[in-house]
Amino acid sequence: MIREVVFNLNGETAVWNGGPAARLLDALRDGFRNTGVKCGCREGECGACAVILDGMLVNSCMVAMGRAGGSEVMTIEGYKKTERFAALDKSFASVSAVQCGFCTPGMVLAAECLLRENPRPDEGEIRAGISGNLCRCTGYNAIVKAISSAAKDGEGLW
Amino acid sequence: MVSYLPVSLNEALEYRGAGGAIPYGGGTDLMIKGDKDAAYIFLHKVPEMRGIIEDDKYIRIGACCTFTEVAGNPLCPAILREAALQIAAPAIRNLGTIGGNIGNGSPKADSAPVFFAAGAKLRLMSLRAERIIPIKEFYLGRNKLSLEPDELIVEVLMPKHVSSRYYYRKVGAREALAISRVSFAGLMDIKEGRVMHCAVSFGAVSDVIIRRDDIDAMLTGKTVSEAKAVKQAYLNAYNTAITPIRGRVSEKYRKAVCMNLLGDFLAAMGI
Ligand SMILES: Cc1cc2nc3c(=O)[nH]c(=O)nc-3n(C[C@H](O)[C@H](O)[C@H](O)COP(=O)(O)OP(=O)(O)OC[C@H]3O[C@@H](n4cnc5c(N)ncnc54)[C@H](O)[C@@H]3O)c2cc1C
Ligand code: FES
Ligand code: FES
Repeated sequence: MIREVVFNLNGETAVWNGGPAARLLDALRDGFRNTGVKCGCREGECGACAVILDGMLVNSCMVAMGRAGGSEVMTIEGYKKTERFAALDKSFASVSAVQCGFCTPGMVLAAECLLRENPRPDEGEIRAGISGNLCRCTGYNAIVKAISSAAKDGEGLW
Repeated sequence: MVSYLPVSLNEALEYRGAGGAIPYGGGTDLMIKGDKDAAYIFLHKVPEMRGIIEDDKYIRIGACCTFTEVAGNPLCPAILREAALQIAAPAIRNLGTIGGNIGNGSPKADSAPVFFAAGAKLRLMSLRAERIIPIKEFYLGRNKLSLEPDELIVEVLMPKHVSSRYYYRKVGAREALAISRVSFAGLMDIKEGRVMHCAVSFGAVSDVIIRRDDIDAMLTGKTVSEAKAVKQAYLNAYNTAITPIRGRVSEKYRKAVCMNLLGDFLAAMGI
């Protein structure tokens, strides 16, 4: 029987008492105030709510808290402190890959998970890696370019 | 309502047997509704459902293996790995499981046509008994499964020597994140100019996956030129057998796609 859910959030122990069926998305935003996790659809379709769960990219609206128990969750708030983030941040800014910014946290985490597996992806691989992250503003080309240049400039980081 | 996190199959079956809580694989179907008060049995820590192993007859795929795990595992037949890779996007493939894909009962489940074509079996268990049944017997009708309220899907058993010559296509509205309008899996073994085995299946067209071994038998045992001679009769037989149900896309469109894919499959196999 699950009473409370204990997990690791960005390196620190987090305890959730709002029930195991609650969405990780809601727990992160409303419970732990990680508002970099965005809510676009609640149907797994947009990727705005993406976080890293035990090293894997997942849409947090598709995860019940009971599934996250005992796991490590990283949101953009935690990732922001890493050197790899700095590389992606710089490249996203330099090619204007951010407009309204709503998709950006999810995009950046998708880029991290892609580069972790494949440090020098080609264009097709980048597009496949962010295929679950929708962007209404940029038309994607700038984002693809940003990830590609982060991979080059950040040589050795991934 | 109370949720559970079993760490062994036996424990999971106890909770399932007690009733009331819903099996939770990856949650990518269940969380669409996302009922905050639901009671779940989270299955991801059950080791008996997590492995992909080979025995003398089968490749045994644990129900809780994710699409990412299946796509990346060389023990899994290539046709299944390809189908898994075409599902949704990474953030869904990392969660969604094979057991959940079958457990939702939808004829649109993209792994299902592969399991039908390959003649896979399912290992179902309850505290009372174990059942191993062909996947065809599992689907009784639209959203109707041969699954008792105290049973769990434990493993999918893929026959070992699935033909290495395969053809898989998923036709959706766009490339990523699209639910299938038609999916097709075809397997054919040709040895020394003779068709040893042919199996095709169509997903997302009817209430259940269409698999007709009686029609496929028209090609088995034939030489390639004999198979070519009965090709039109074979296509005609499927043309009669496929009766798409009404859906968001017209029956006519889906029927045409089915027949095009079937023709393309035969051509790709040299028939
Ligand atoms: C954005 C998005 C895109 C998608 N794209 C596709 C696609 O391209 N192709 C496709 O086929 N599907 C797709 N799906 C649907 C879904 O991801 C799959 O059906 C997936 O396989 C469901 O598995 P799950 O483990 O997440 O299921 P869950 O939500 O955990 O469970 C689904 C059902 O199966 C039952 N169940 C789960 N495991 C077991 C078990 N071991 N024994 C008995 N019952 C069980 C559950 O009780 C529930 O009724 C998509 C979903 C989303 C959100
Ligand atoms: S809010 Fe989770 S994928 Fe859109
Ligand atoms: S920048 Fe606005 S959604 Fe991507």
